[in-house]
Amino acid sequence: MRIPVGGRGQSRPPEAEDFLLLAADAARLVLESGGETYRAEETAQSIATGLGAVDVECFATPTGIVLSFSGPDGRVRSIVRRVSTRSLNLDRITRTEELVREVVAGTLEWDEAAATLGDIESSPEVPLLPSLAAAAAGTGFFTLFFGGAWNDALVAAFSGLILSRMTHYLARRRISDFFTNLAGGALIAAVALSAKGMGLAANADLAILGAAMYLVPGVAITNAIRDTIAGDLVAGVARAADAFMSAAAIAIGAGSALGVWGLFGGRI
Amino acid sequence: MTQVLLPYLWTALATSAFAVRFGLRKSELLPAAVGAAGGWFVFELASGALLARLATGSSWNSPTLGYFVAALFIGLYAEIVAAVLKKPATIWIVTAIFPLVPGGGMYFTMLNSVRGDLWESVRSGFETLSAAGAIASGLAVSSALSRLLSLRSITRRLADRSSGLGR
Repeated sequence: MRIPVGGRGQSRPPEAEDFLLLAADAARLVLESGGETYRAEETAQSIATGLGAVDVECFATPTGIVLSFSGPDGRVRSIVRRVSTRSLNLDRITRTEELVREVVAGTLEWDEAAATLGDIESSPEVPLLPSLAAAAAGTGFFTLFFGGAWNDALVAAFSGLILSRMTHYLARRRISDFFTNLAGGALIAAVALSAKGMGLAANADLAILGAAMYLVPGVAITNAIRDTIAGDLVAGVARAADAFMSAAAIAIGAGSALGVWGLFGGRI
Repeated sequence: MTQVLLPYLWTALATSAFAVRFGLRKSELLPAAVGAAGGWFVFELASGALLARLATGSSWNSPTLGYFVAALFIGLYAEIVAAVLKKPATIWIVTAIFPLVPGGGMYFTMLNSVRGDLWESVRSGFETLSAAGAIASGLAVSSALSRLLSLRSITRRLADRSSGLGR
């Protein structure tokens, strides 16, 4: 929460700094919600231009934004925003896009826009029950999709349930993504191998792969190349590095669990 | 027959489940599920996997081309849905490519590297990069095409015309 600008009901005349804060925070929110780099830049540019700034330039990377423009008085202003968390939230992207459209159309004053942006940022995550059900169903159905049997899918769905809670808990404790992915990889492999050991699931590898779909950075590596094609070279390389580190962490976690299983004589 | 059709059902269900997890609303779910199943069908058709599965004796096999054409399809499909429902296309692009994106490939690349099987790691790593590159190119081409053809305004005009009939 970094939108102290104005707030609801307060009607002082806006200054150029207010536009700057609003535009930069909207762009930060887009990046934090997993939006594309060009979308974050366009968001900041459209909001600043829509509110009357000229000569707007925005440079965004997955880890931060630089925005600068001239206000109505002709003085140049700039701001830097650091982006430290990135998790996919399509609802926030949609609502920020609606906000931008309204600001550009001129139907929304800057203080209303700031209040709306605050609402979007503080809006709750997906509620507990749907998010648990979605994690279990997603991992289970992907296991079936990869050719697993129904009992493999149940094992994957069980891992998905625990994963969903575990990633949520670790994110709230501000544990790094690397550790979260490592622990997640170890967890799904341990669950799948224990199920195989108890004779509950025949295809441990498919149960691991299905549950890993919850963590793996497939969209991230695709977005990395999309950014590179779009000409956002710095962002593309940064995203590729991010995707490779996540995949490495999951594999180290899963590989350790598979290694322990092998040491005790288990067969994969 | 069910063996042929079941994977499409599983992709649609798995994609909508993950879409819920990533914040898609109820009214936006159906287009995502249809896009995922449709994208997978186009992938299987273009890569030759569908013909191989139906045992027609066709030997055409090119996953990379399949990824490219499927991403092209999903990109154009998402632009049309976005124009009709007046939402950003990216929310359907991101969800409908879930079954295609090479997350599993990334995982296998790193897992084989952790296990010390370098040859297998390089093989799946190159496969993963080709897949991601093909999908990204497909999406880039579809976004350029939809701008060239101004797909958005055409769809919006059609949608406005059909919704304005009663007025």
